[in-house]
Amino acid sequence: MRKSRPNHLAGFGSLVWLLVVGLPLYVMLVATFQSRPDYAANGPLAFPEHFTLDNYVNDLNSGFAQYFLNTVIVTVCVVGIVVLLVPPLAYTIVRSRGRATTTVFRLFLLGLAIPSQAVIVPMFFVISEAGLYDNLIGVILPTAAFAMPVCALILTGVMRDITPDLYEAMTVDGASPRRVFFQLVLPLSRSGVSTIVVFSALQAWNGFLFPLVLTQSVETKVITLGLYDFQTERGVDTPGLLAAVVLSMLPILIVYLFARRALVQGLMGVGGK
Amino acid sequence: MTRNAPPPADSGAVRSAGSSGSGSSGAGRPGFLWAVPAAVFFGLFAIVPLIMVAVLSFASWDGLSDPEFTGLDNWRTLLDDPVMIKSLWLSVLLTVLGVAVQTPLSILLGVWAAGHQRNRAVLSAIYFVPLLLSIAAVSVLWRAVLDPNLGVPAHATWLFGDGNLFGTQATAIGVLVFVSTWQFTPLHTLIYQGAARAVPPVLYQAAQIDGAGRVRQFFHITLPQLRNSIITSVILMVVGGLTTFDTVLILTQGGPGSDTTISAYYMYQKAFKSFDYGAASAIALLLVLVSTVISLIVVRLSGYDKMRSTMEGL
Amino acid sequence: MKQRARFSRTAVVGGAALALVLSLSGCGGGSDAADGDTIHVLVYGDAANKVEKELVATFNKTSKVKAVLDTIPGADYQAKLQTIINSKQAPDVFFNWGGGSIKPFVDAGLLLPLDPFIDKDPDLKAKFLPSVFNSAVVDGTSYGVPMRGTQPVLLFNNGKVLKKAGVEPPKTWDDLLAAVKALKVDGVTPIALGGGDRWPTLMWFEYLYDRIAGPELFQKALDGDKDAWASQDSRKALGKIRELVDAGAFGTNYDSVKFTDQGSPTLLATGRAGFELMGSWAYSTQQDAHPEFAKSDLGYSAFPSVEGGRGDQANVVGNTNNFYSVLKKTKHPQAVAAFLKLMYSDQFVKAQLSIGNLPTTTNTEGLLDTAASPEFAKFQYDMVKAAPAFQLSWDQAYPQAAATAMYQSLQQFFNGSMDEDAFIKAMQALPTS
Repeated sequence: MRKSRPNHLAGFGSLVWLLVVGLPLYVMLVATFQSRPDYAANGPLAFPEHFTLDNYVNDLNSGFAQYFLNTVIVTVCVVGIVVLLVPPLAYTIVRSRGRATTTVFRLFLLGLAIPSQAVIVPMFFVISEAGLYDNLIGVILPTAAFAMPVCALILTGVMRDITPDLYEAMTVDGASPRRVFFQLVLPLSRSGVSTIVVFSALQAWNGFLFPLVLTQSVETKVITLGLYDFQTERGVDTPGLLAAVVLSMLPILIVYLFARRALVQGLMGVGGK
Repeated sequence: MTRNAPPPADSGAVRSAGSSGSGSSGAGRPGFLWAVPAAVFFGLFAIVPLIMVAVLSFASWDGLSDPEFTGLDNWRTLLDDPVMIKSLWLSVLLTVLGVAVQTPLSILLGVWAAGHQRNRAVLSAIYFVPLLLSIAAVSVLWRAVLDPNLGVPAHATWLFGDGNLFGTQATAIGVLVFVSTWQFTPLHTLIYQGAARAVPPVLYQAAQIDGAGRVRQFFHITLPQLRNSIITSVILMVVGGLTTFDTVLILTQGGPGSDTTISAYYMYQKAFKSFDYGAASAIALLLVLVSTVISLIVVRLSGYDKMRSTMEGL
Repeated sequence: MKQRARFSRTAVVGGAALALVLSLSGCGGGSDAADGDTIHVLVYGDAANKVEKELVATFNKTSKVKAVLDTIPGADYQAKLQTIINSKQAPDVFFNWGGGSIKPFVDAGLLLPLDPFIDKDPDLKAKFLPSVFNSAVVDGTSYGVPMRGTQPVLLFNNGKVLKKAGVEPPKTWDDLLAAVKALKVDGVTPIALGGGDRWPTLMWFEYLYDRIAGPELFQKALDGDKDAWASQDSRKALGKIRELVDAGAFGTNYDSVKFTDQGSPTLLATGRAGFELMGSWAYSTQQDAHPEFAKSDLGYSAFPSVEGGRGDQANVVGNTNNFYSVLKKTKHPQAVAAFLKLMYSDQFVKAQLSIGNLPTTTNTEGLLDTAASPEFAKFQYDMVKAAPAFQLSWDQAYPQAAATAMYQSLQQFFNGSMDEDAFIKAMQALPTS
């Protein structure tokens, strides 16, 4: 009996969770289509009486397009740096027998325990001295650096799964490390690479503290900061704010819709196999 | 300049490693040079600042005049500072609560979502949505939703009472834990979903033949099989929990009083509200130490260090 | 599958190349900071920037050295300012609140004394109300020229709600307590408070200390006399706050409400609260968010008097004014001086008045009719002009290092999680210089 239909509980639980996930999303969406007085008068749960797109239009006119572009630039650059630097690193960690490599691996493991907040003060002065303050490059570099430890861990995990015989087979043919890397290691750790792409992209997309401290002007503002400013500016309106939240998730939503499988697989890969 | 260095060096490293590496340590093994670009980059933007933090923690500095070496003064002040001690406890508490709430929840959801039924796929797609939002966006959203007068609490007084969620310590911590759970459960659910799907079906078939019920199957097959994923997921939660910042800044600003001032936020306050960079650096170093210790404990308890060999053996 | 492998490698290489190109081109902007013929003017980013932009444009029409306006959004302004002020990114001229907000910069020798400018053009001082001008004088030297406007704190009310409860704007403390009682009977929160922001809570302390002890007590405390906080008057003020909070004047969830996200203003505008103690900017906030309410029902009055108090009931607290200060290392002091002269021009005063700010120049009075809300502008102007003392917000008067701990103690005393003695001890522990 219990074996065949034991899932009422799970079904119920899943619906409760649906409610928890869905309710705020509902409140958010509904609010964005109302005017400010309507929202204040009708409360967060009511369906919009007078449907309006003004909130979105206003947000877009107040610089959100620029914030988008900045966030996309930061994300692409961070992913680029991580994808360029981490695979060779992971490859070395897995294959090299040198003591220096072990030290480097330890360094990155230590890096896992360094919260980005911890270095924010000197980071400000390093970036400022380098003339990169209030410049997207100044955000990109530390963000990429702090995405590296987890990415290195993920990728070494994946690369370790490549069986030694495969390496043997190639090296017997006299393949250089470079050939081994491009023809064996990279193709076989494809899933791992897509995982670190997703992970570092999320890091960059979510980035808050580095942009908060390392930039100041509208030209270099990223979306997360745009939202924060929106909230702390006096005279903010909730529907407008929530419309900005919706706008901030649109690009990722589009990626999600078109590349859902890659995204999900990438994230699943964070946990290893 | 610093920006340009790593990428070109990378291609250089690839080339030179190709020629020198093959000669030294066994054919086809990459030389250390392969790791240099990443190591240099990471060293420059993480290790060097960390060393600077360590140095600054022994100095008094407001950013205006030159730093002054003050020995252990910052440390002495901090260890006497009740807010500091409290912030450490709060950081740990927030982390532990986060792990305690999210782990069972995401294991259950993940295992449930691993099934191939259509309705599960649809629901999973919706569950995923919070992950599409940045932490800042999620915090802003919940701040609006939880407003005592204009948000949901005003319409659900049976649940929220007077809605003073940000006014007492217990509820403010509750909100912080809940909001991170709301946002990050999808990620951990995915991790478990992937892992649960990778469990060989043979195991379940065998168990069914033995007459084991679903609950027993869960505890005797699924959970043990999820072991590695649990470790990874918990480590991510611990690191995430200890470095919680955006949520506190946007939702509670460390309040009421200093009741949600976790270490990471306290450090930010010391640095960028009080301009006491020396004290901030000492807190930062303490934070690094605590998270190192916790990571080590998790690694030891879970045998993560041994996991490498099991994986290699596969 | 095989094909996919190749695709992903191309994608990876391509993506990386793209990243590099982007980082070289796209992110390389913003290099005009180093050029020689500009002065950078850094201001608090908000709606008032419109006027500052116009002003900069006016200046640039005639000046060879061009002014560039940089803004930092409000909440981060002070933090950003201090981090960049001694770095390469420092501006030439910057917005501040006078008093404690510039003291550390003066101490570090970063600011340019403005007295030589004033010697050349006495109007730079004479054209401003002295009480205002003086709050940017540090140790006898002038370091700031007033800009934007004065922002006194007023007791705003919802006229409709008061009428319904049969309540008048309170003249005395007892009136206020009676009004609280009457409003509670009517089922509204008597006083809206954005306790989540903390600085709105501070305003209650500032006014009660001023009314009961006069401005001298706070000045003593600020000068380093720790006993001031433990004095009889201090305890009396704290007792009044306790009395008001315990009477349920603010409801119970004020610490979850903010002014900055429209929480408390909406309570007032929608008739769910009777009063709100807030800076004069609340008027334009309401005009913006609830125009109907602002037009018909938004009332305001001065803070009530407290019987037996030493403070003059005409005293005002708030933000005395905003100021422009100048960095010593500016390369174009002459251009800066010319820029500062615009702060008392008719054009500037009119523009400020039109967006609801109240400049404190001597020519303001004659231009009040051009204000966005002439009646409100006149009320404020008379109030500030007649005030024997204008107490600068405590969080601006104390050094920045004290602000966090001050906010925490205020909030904790207010909501009852800290008692009188603990509060006094916490205030005594604040750094004063």
